[in-house]
Amino acid sequence: MTGTARHTLIEDAQGLAYGATMAAVAIVLLTHLGLVTGQTAGLAVLISYATGWTFGVVFFVINIPFYYLGYRKMGLAFTVKTFVAVASLSGLTLWLPGYFAFGAVNPWMGAVIFGLMSGSALLALFRHGASLGGIGILGLILQDRFGWRAGWVQLGFDVILFSVALTILEPASVAVSFLGAVVVNLVIAINHRRDRYIAT
Amino acid sequence: MSDPSHHSLIEDTQGIAFGVCMAAVGTHVLTHMGFVAGQTVGVAALLSYATGWPFPALYFAVSLPFLWLGWRRMGPRFALKTFIAVAALSLATALLPRWLEFERINPAFAAILFGALFGIAALAVVRHGGSFGGLSILWLLVQDRTGFQAGYAQLIFDALLFAVAALFLDWHVLGWSFLGAVVFNLFLALNHRRDRYIAT
Repeated sequence: MTGTARHTLIEDAQGLAYGATMAAVAIVLLTHLGLVTGQTAGLAVLISYATGWTFGVVFFVINIPFYYLGYRKMGLAFTVKTFVAVASLSGLTLWLPGYFAFGAVNPWMGAVIFGLMSGSALLALFRHGASLGGIGILGLILQDRFGWRAGWVQLGFDVILFSVALTILEPASVAVSFLGAVVVNLVIAINHRRDRYIAT
Repeated sequence: MSDPSHHSLIEDTQGIAFGVCMAAVGTHVLTHMGFVAGQTVGVAALLSYATGWPFPALYFAVSLPFLWLGWRRMGPRFALKTFIAVAALSLATALLPRWLEFERINPAFAAILFGALFGIAALAVVRHGGSFGGLSILWLLVQDRTGFQAGYAQLIFDALLFAVAALFLDWHVLGWSFLGAVVFNLFLALNHRRDRYIAT
């Protein structure tokens, strides 16, 4: 077994691979159902619906300004890992539809599964020193600086995002999306504990 | 925040609920593709393909006898959590196909997805003090009685299981099933670390 306190390169690589793959499947499910979500990915989904541009491209572009913030506040390793995670997620969402597609999905069930998948993806990325972009970085900075739980900061951003979504989507879709966002944030709020998962 | 070293009832509940949902999606992928796997889920899948009986009932029936062993070897809390996880997964695998369908899945991606989904599910349930079935307990008891390493017993059993599967299944399907089993086992081997995730 490797040392307890630090992840090896291989361990971080598999953590990032898990996070990017699970997040990509979650985004495929989300957009299959025409739902939105919170955070940077939610912003990209919303822009994608409004403009018709592909999620993978929009998500990749939106994240570019945040790398400088990430580098200043969280260091080089975090920024490189976040870039790898964001680029992998963008690439996977462009590539995946040729190999994997959902059929009929109950929207409520789909929202819960989306929430669990993307929650565990984010948790894996956080535990391996990465994130999925801008708002996640902001949440982590606020958690480390002020002890605010990253889950609550993200919820605040989501409220604004969902208000905008109401002008584009059916109210029923926004309600189902809200369930998914609650599940994501609950998974993070309950399980993102540096005092329990102690390796970095 | 709650005590870092012990999970509360709510924390255990969400951990096991997460595991059951992810395992249900993973099992759905497995049976959709006609793949087999190792251990209890693999036995149930193989029996289901051979007899035509429904997977959920077989999985529940195969797991039940081992709960008593689990109680004796690991205590009543472990046995109760395992019973809840097994019963909930049986129910979830029976219901999920009504609410979530796949249109197409590339077999290589299906194998990786199954391994990742079942890996994260097993990790969550084990970290919250339960399990998804009995066979691993049997190998621990064999180790107690005879000194024969549980890891080897598990490996030999899975090798036999795949050998039997070779009589029923196309070798392509067998190969992809093997890839899924490798991803699952690598995921658990790398991430199941009691020295890193310290809460019980």
